[in-house]
Amino acid sequence: MKMTPLAVVVGSVLILATIVFVVIILPYVHTSKTVPSEIFRERSDPEAAGRDLYIANGCVYCHSQSIRSIDWGLGAERIAQAGDYVADYPILLGSQRTGPDLSQAGGEHPDDWHWAHFANPRFTRPLSLMPTFAFLGEPRTEELIRYVQSLGFKDADHRMARQDYWKGKAIAAYEAGPDVNVQWLNENIPQGWRDVPNPYPTTEAGLARGHKIYQDFCIGCHGPVGDGMGPAQPWIYPPPLNFTILKNREISGGILYYQIMNGITGTAMPYFKRELESEKIWDVGNYVAVYFINQSDANAEPRGIDAAYEP
Amino acid sequence: MEAKPPFKYPTAIAFCLTSGFWMMVATFYGLLGATELMAPDLSANLGGIVFGRVRPTHVNLVLFGFVTPGLLGAAFYYLPRLLGTRLYSERLGVLTAVVWNGALVAAVATLAMGMTQGREYAELAWSIDVVIVVAFLLVFFNFMMTVKQREEPILYVSVWYVLAGCILTSCTYILGNVIWRPDSGALVGIPDAILLWFYGHNIFGLLLTPLSAGVAYYVIPRATRNPLYSHTLSLLGFWSLIVVYTHIGTHHLLQVPVPTWLKVVAIVDSIAMVIPVMAFLINIWYTAKGKLGEIHADIGAKFVFTGTIMYFFVSIQGSFMALPDVQRVTHFNNWVVAHAHIGVLGFAGMIALGGLYYTIPKMTGRPLFSRFLADFQYWMVLIGMVGFTIVLTIAGLIQGNAWLNGETVYRVLPEIHVYYVVRAGLGLLIFSSAVLGFYNIVRSVWARSGAPS
Repeated sequence: MKMTPLAVVVGSVLILATIVFVVIILPYVHTSKTVPSEIFRERSDPEAAGRDLYIANGCVYCHSQSIRSIDWGLGAERIAQAGDYVADYPILLGSQRTGPDLSQAGGEHPDDWHWAHFANPRFTRPLSLMPTFAFLGEPRTEELIRYVQSLGFKDADHRMARQDYWKGKAIAAYEAGPDVNVQWLNENIPQGWRDVPNPYPTTEAGLARGHKIYQDFCIGCHGPVGDGMGPAQPWIYPPPLNFTILKNREISGGILYYQIMNGITGTAMPYFKRELESEKIWDVGNYVAVYFINQSDANAEPRGIDAAYEP
Repeated sequence: MEAKPPFKYPTAIAFCLTSGFWMMVATFYGLLGATELMAPDLSANLGGIVFGRVRPTHVNLVLFGFVTPGLLGAAFYYLPRLLGTRLYSERLGVLTAVVWNGALVAAVATLAMGMTQGREYAELAWSIDVVIVVAFLLVFFNFMMTVKQREEPILYVSVWYVLAGCILTSCTYILGNVIWRPDSGALVGIPDAILLWFYGHNIFGLLLTPLSAGVAYYVIPRATRNPLYSHTLSLLGFWSLIVVYTHIGTHHLLQVPVPTWLKVVAIVDSIAMVIPVMAFLINIWYTAKGKLGEIHADIGAKFVFTGTIMYFFVSIQGSFMALPDVQRVTHFNNWVVAHAHIGVLGFAGMIALGGLYYTIPKMTGRPLFSRFLADFQYWMVLIGMVGFTIVLTIAGLIQGNAWLNGETVYRVLPEIHVYYVVRAGLGLLIFSSAVLGFYNIVRSVWARSGAPS
């Protein structure tokens, strides 16, 4: 084959044109007609402004918005559909998951959690690698939060409504004083859980494990001495629970377990059922009970059949 | 250049200096980003250096500041030589280099200010996109006119690659940056993802790879004083590269709701990449057969030959990563970052540096300022790059397998922290090598005539 300049240039451009037709134009014919999915809604102006900030600050390099069929983490309740992206201009699928996928982040936490988190991500998530976004200032942080809270569209709205409903209740209980607050918190736990003591004995190893879990997950809000004065506290309302006032208030191991597992919707207390296996929840609950409440029901009756591993 | 030119090859030298300088800046941004991943409070309240702005700056500067100008610098030297003529216009060439550097300065400034289109490799604002396309077209025009005035009737394979790389990249850059939509530079929804990864992959397939192949096809036969092994393989490698590479962008979207037939095309062609890759590599390696001593003796050829070996690894790895079963583990984590560093630093970056060190002595008529520094840089880059690959691959495997087994992203962070620390250390090594390299290039270009120090 004689490679003339014409052959090289025109030949390669013609090949490119053909391939663009096949891999760009043909799929475009189909994919550009995608209809909105059942969760889709338009974004409000503040949400759109927040999306611009999300782009400007390169959030997309660490947070995907692309839930795959193999995912377990945040947002995995719903696998992404083409119709979720019909207003995304540009689309922000991302290529790295240094932080969690945010496709369904809307309503996962109430706004106050996000305020603390953007002020310094380690205030709410002590192991986070995310930069601080305090430099954005209040109005822009508000826009960014509006965008994050809209991720998931109608599903997010549903979750936000739930956060707002329970936040009203949680604030009312908090403002009525510690007695009412603790009573309200306990009342909202199924009776079966309230009756369960921590089934495992307090051990040095268990407390050490609980200490590590506490430092990796809890310390930002509840603070190093469990008084609810962690660095996130100024942003959070109702404020983080002060464990040191809980003595003689019927806080069973089951109550601690349930709250850690399930979180307290409406407050900044997230659920940890995805992050922590059962043993870790019992251990950190007992750590809080022993060191901060100074009253643990570990190993109390009824405890059922003895655990096989106990010495 | 009419009035007494200070250099015989001012355009080539301008692009070499551009590459050397921006390699320092690009690797500094890489080091900064790597440091932020191990010490996230580093950026404190400085929005301009927040990780999400540092990363695209690093990537764009590596692609368009370090590697592409380095490969073009060599091309501006060897293309006229292969055609038995002079460059059509050195004045236009130097002007192009100036425009190019202006675009890079603007890129750093705008990305630091958060002016980005938010699409990987297509971040730059519309006005900078236009300047970059113009620069590519100017390079192409200069090369085409040089071809037109050639004395040598036969076009050598390096010339094909350079011409095709410049014109095809002009086309895909326009397409990929959706340049007809200045406000966003994007399509809407899923078509945007398909277009973006078509473009994104072609930055490697139709820019870095052809320009690197051009340099390798020039340097290896010259350094070994062997004739090129096979014209047929050259033809096969060239045409199959354009046909196959352009199909595979959608392998970035295997887990995204895009048409299944498109995913099948992308996977099949990703495997078919073995054809252009091995056609090129067999050709180069058989040309070098029995002459590794000559390659070892020439620092430029040593860089280039190492680059071809990295090309083998990155291409075979890339083909396998397109298999859905493999990608379930490797997707979305540091495995991909390792892969990108083998490709852009190990393959294209090594060949760009090799092109510089091979051609600069020929442009200036003097040996390099310091062969020792160049060799030292070779080992720093090689150790840094291989180190990146090892630690980031380990981190990626930890992440990918942990996620598949139900661990959350947050839980895995402490498991990969130590690899981020090592990676930042290796980043310091690469950045230091870039500083040494730039010093060496500057001293080589401006040294007084005479013996090296």
